Amino acid sequence: MTPAGSLVYVYGVLPAEEAASASETGVDGRAVRTITQEGLAALVSDVHGDALAAAREVRAHWRVLEEASKHATVLPVRFGTVMEGEDHVRRELLEHDADRLGSLLRELAGRVQLSLKGDYDEDALLRDVVARSPSIAALRDRVRDTPAAAGYYDRIQLGEMVAAEVARRHEEDERSALAHLQPLAVRARAEPPSSNAQAFNLAFLVERDGVEDFGRAVAALGDQVAERIRIRYVGPLPPYSFTDIERSAGGEAWV
Amino acid sequence: MAVAHATPRGYLERPRPSGLADVIDVILDKGLVIDAYVRVSLIGIEILTIDARIVVASVDTYLRFAEAVGRLDIAQDDQAAGLPDLMESITSGGAESKTKGALEGAKEKLFGDDDDDSDDDDEKDGSSRRRSSSRSGSSRSRSGSSSSRGSNGRSSRSRKES
Repeated sequence: MTPAGSLVYVYGVLPAEEAASASETGVDGRAVRTITQEGLAALVSDVHGDALAAAREVRAHWRVLEEASKHATVLPVRFGTVMEGEDHVRRELLEHDADRLGSLLRELAGRVQLSLKGDYDEDALLRDVVARSPSIAALRDRVRDTPAAAGYYDRIQLGEMVAAEVARRHEEDERSALAHLQPLAVRARAEPPSSNAQAFNLAFLVERDGVEDFGRAVAALGDQVAERIRIRYVGPLPPYSFTDIERSAGGEAWV
Repeated sequence: MAVAHATPRGYLERPRPSGLADVIDVILDKGLVIDAYVRVSLIGIEILTIDARIVVASVDTYLRFAEAVGRLDIAQDDQAAGLPDLMESITSGGAESKTKGALEGAKEKLFGDDDDDSDDDDEKDGSSRRRSSSRSGSSRSRSGSSSSRGSNGRSSRSRKES
């Protein structure tokens, strides 16, 4: 087994010339430092082989990356990543992956992640679903007037129809939000909604210079959907969602 | 930007700086995945991250109530405080005690039942009161689960958009 004490927790990778001394305290309450190799720097801190309390450490992980990304382009590493000592970080991460990391960093330079989540007012959404679908409204009325046991299959069918309609709206709202904002972003990514009440969950990679224009477009979108969807617009973030961009020769890996 | 802020919708023109609760999902699910053969672990990531999600969500709720209560204190000092402010604080207070129950439960689950880790929720002060005796058995026993999700799960929850 690895001797305790030589383990290092890895937060992220950044260009060596942008590495500054980190002021935040890292996971396990330890000082954050950088390890440099091949023009790349890894943000790390020591960690002991003990289990970390995730809720606490995720906050430290987040703070270290927030702080570092104020002054540098940082590739965030997945939370909870521990490597076997400084030497391993040097050889197995920075040296071994130098090309990939370097090109990712160049691609992400000057760009930030912006997160956009839209939430439905669930009651309003369901009322609207019923109001706009005569077949759902009819079935609802029938179910309402039937004793629970007798209407069992009707209720399942009603729920199915509503779920399908909610899914359709989610798709539609996600598509239209993307169509509205994607032209202003370098990349966009849609995550599956985390609940039925979520209209969309989008991540955008945007040029730092373009954040203001992007914000205006977000506000315009917000106006369009104000009656149905509440938008949460958060950032700028380190490019968490864009660290797995596949590289392909001379062009966008996907569009 | 000052002008933009004066408009009713101005709040959307500038992104909000993130709170941990806003970004917990990307922190836990995204980010560069280092090949399994060169890393030691993703610290029992499957189980721990689920708990982290729960605790962070609770802490965030807790923080919002704390903030609401904080606003009340100011309002009370200011004799102009009106009924709406007061009502807000009363309802917040009531809900707080309920949330706190859930929160304590979650914290207990993760950190053991010591009471000294309220700094956890403190995002603003760069909290240095961090480590304490809270590293107890309950969290330790949760580690060591497989880390496979880290290596193969990175793109499964996202999809490419055109």
